[in-house]
Amino acid sequence: MIRFERVGFRYAEEAAPVLAGVDLEIDEGELCLVVGSTGSGKSTLLRAVNGLVPHFTGGILSGRVTVAGRDTRDHPPRELADVIGYVGQDPRAGFVTDLVEEELAYGMESLGLAAGVMRRRVEETLDLLGLEGVRDRPLATLSGGQAQRVAIGSVLAAHPRALVLDEPTSALDPVGAEDVLAILQRLVHDLGLTVLLAEHRLERVVHLADSVVLLPGGGRPVVYGPAGTIMATSPVAPPVVRLGRAAGWSPLPLSVRDARRAAAPLRARLAETPDAGTTRGAAASSPMAAVRGLEVRYGPVTALRGVDLTVSRGEVVALMGRNGAGKSSLLSTLVGLVRPAAGRAEVLGAVPHELRARAMVRHAGLVPQDPGDLLYAETVAAECRAADRDMAAPEGTCRALFGRLAPGVADAVHPRDLSEGQRLSLALAVILTGRPPLVLLDEPTRGLDYAAKARLVEILGELAGDGHAVVLATHDVELAAEVATRAVVVAEGEVVADGPVEEVLVSSPAFAPQVSKIFAPLPLLTVAQATAALRDPS
Amino acid sequence: MTAVRLRPRSAIAVALVSLAGLVAFGWPLVVAPQAGLTQSGPASWLFVLMLPLLLLVALAEISEGGVDAKAIALLGVLGAIGAALRPLGTGVAGFEPMFFVLVHGGRVLGRGFGYLLGSVTMFASALLTAGVGPWLPFQLLGAAWVGFFAGCLPRAGGRAEIAMLSGYGAVAAFIYGSLQDLALWPFATGVSTSIAYEPGASVTANLGRFVAFDLATSLGFNVPRAVTTAVLVAITGRPVLLALRRAARRAAFEAPVDFRRP
Repeated sequence: MIRFERVGFRYAEEAAPVLAGVDLEIDEGELCLVVGSTGSGKSTLLRAVNGLVPHFTGGILSGRVTVAGRDTRDHPPRELADVIGYVGQDPRAGFVTDLVEEELAYGMESLGLAAGVMRRRVEETLDLLGLEGVRDRPLATLSGGQAQRVAIGSVLAAHPRALVLDEPTSALDPVGAEDVLAILQRLVHDLGLTVLLAEHRLERVVHLADSVVLLPGGGRPVVYGPAGTIMATSPVAPPVVRLGRAAGWSPLPLSVRDARRAAAPLRARLAETPDAGTTRGAAASSPMAAVRGLEVRYGPVTALRGVDLTVSRGEVVALMGRNGAGKSSLLSTLVGLVRPAAGRAEVLGAVPHELRARAMVRHAGLVPQDPGDLLYAETVAAECRAADRDMAAPEGTCRALFGRLAPGVADAVHPRDLSEGQRLSLALAVILTGRPPLVLLDEPTRGLDYAAKARLVEILGELAGDGHAVVLATHDVELAAEVATRAVVVAEGEVVADGPVEEVLVSSPAFAPQVSKIFAPLPLLTVAQATAALRDPS
Repeated sequence: MTAVRLRPRSAIAVALVSLAGLVAFGWPLVVAPQAGLTQSGPASWLFVLMLPLLLLVALAEISEGGVDAKAIALLGVLGAIGAALRPLGTGVAGFEPMFFVLVHGGRVLGRGFGYLLGSVTMFASALLTAGVGPWLPFQLLGAAWVGFFAGCLPRAGGRAEIAMLSGYGAVAAFIYGSLQDLALWPFATGVSTSIAYEPGASVTANLGRFVAFDLATSLGFNVPRAVTTAVLVAITGRPVLLALRRAARRAAFEAPVDFRRP
């Protein structure tokens, strides 16, 4: 179905090769996962499948890419559109119409399908992806998760023979992501669709993949093979696989179910030892921010009702919940962007929405869901200088912080040309320049690979150790398991759970990290905790 | 940075259309007294009919050669911006906020793109404002030339570039206005005979009459148009040029698309 023969790619004659010697053949009806760290060429590989590389991006492609018998050398992307559906990393960048229904129909319209067929397929796609509730909405008003589903639906409606998806679940909550992946799996098994997808959060997909393409980066050759074989030695791996490798299980389990079976004897052994879990609570310390009876309304819609929350120094609070549950509204209230309709919010004794901006940055700082919203200068250096000036910090503070978070970025790069992770690091550096006691992050792990997440975990841990309080709204259960001390679950604008992270995460099926699902009911959250508990015989 | 490459055939087509356009604009001045074209009426309308066809030919030639999806997308966006700006100026004497888009677009993205941008913007904005009439082909050609010659300006950087573009914008906008007058001067009725078109008079006499006509009737439009364009080009220079250059770099218009054997 999709064949790469000795494919190499570089953007210019003198540039370093992005891909070299890629040889693989993906059969029809295969679900293939593309794995690799940021910058290893995953997006380039995916875009080479439907001809965007090199027709759209320019560059030199050596070798041959064949899709359904068509060579991309002779067929530009428009001639491959009926066999390949491509969804890029930013779903909104691919939208061309104004309404959801129109977006779903646009691809089919361009391919010249009959009106009756289009109407029927639009209905089917709306049902398949759970979008009936938003069918008349303008695309600009959709949440991140809804936008991602509309993007997938718009390529699915044309019934291509293969789907290429670049990080399709990055903006979705765990349940939403499982829905989309379940749909993809059903399409593969029932309709024989071929799916090629790149994903950073491997814990969501690796058990569904038939085969894996590993891009190790750094000039090493690309490896392709069955999922179990590749994962045994892959440098990027989800917690299940890392646990399996550490515990020496064979065959290597890829799903929680297989891992649970392999872990049965270990569970029995650990259950006997008195305290098999470790608690990561912070000692009770001074409260720094609090909301009481908070109510936030956007016109007729109530985003938060009757929310009570206290955040203390040294705590890392993970705010979790479905898409649209009210997490962003809560963070916006704490930083003064939103005025509460009722109740009160307080940060270090001051009311956020009454503070002037200069005073606010000394109390709390928010890294928004789209970090680019904070960046307005033309180069990284100019952005850092502006941040130093605005926060009245010594010159060079912001640049040093950014250099630590994302090493190796030149000063003259335009902030919008940075990768997702680098943009997030820059926004975080800008916020941290002012050393605000309360640091807020909204969905910080979109687009970050495991290595970048580990760096983020390190930084957040240091902040908490220095006495800052950190609140992060996240879907990434593994991140919450690694770094949070407390977890708060928000649903429909109300707090439904609030407690130490071990209690909240372990007890909920939707938000439990993989390790705790494997070792349930033992309160283990991370691979590090599990291996420590296994090693320690006491 | 050239978004639209002018292949030899396209360049010839553009040149031919421009030549025809020059004749269409300037025939009242140079045509000899005995030639049949001096009769206003069917012969002069010939140009008005021929010109749109020639423009279409030129546009088709250009799209045949080097316009890909990215260039069309940029063309659409910039054309829409220009078209949306034009109604903002209608009613006030000569205040045309549209030309600075053509100047910047032609400068960053090249001659061919500037030519296309001028035509597309003027056509789209005509649907919004001045309407479609016998003046439209002349407006299309004039705007296309403004964009085309913006792409022909010499290399410069920083403030020198903005000053040069500003000056060019003023001159181009002024000449555009004069050319539009020239196109419709022979058909203007109700003007005193000293500045009206006299079929059969010599080139210099007609030219003199035309200049007088232009000064008398349109200075109030041409000068504000020139000044507005120059000011807008200068004010928006740095950010717009930066944004367009970044867009052009991201779109990699000049990157070679090459396939090699493994």
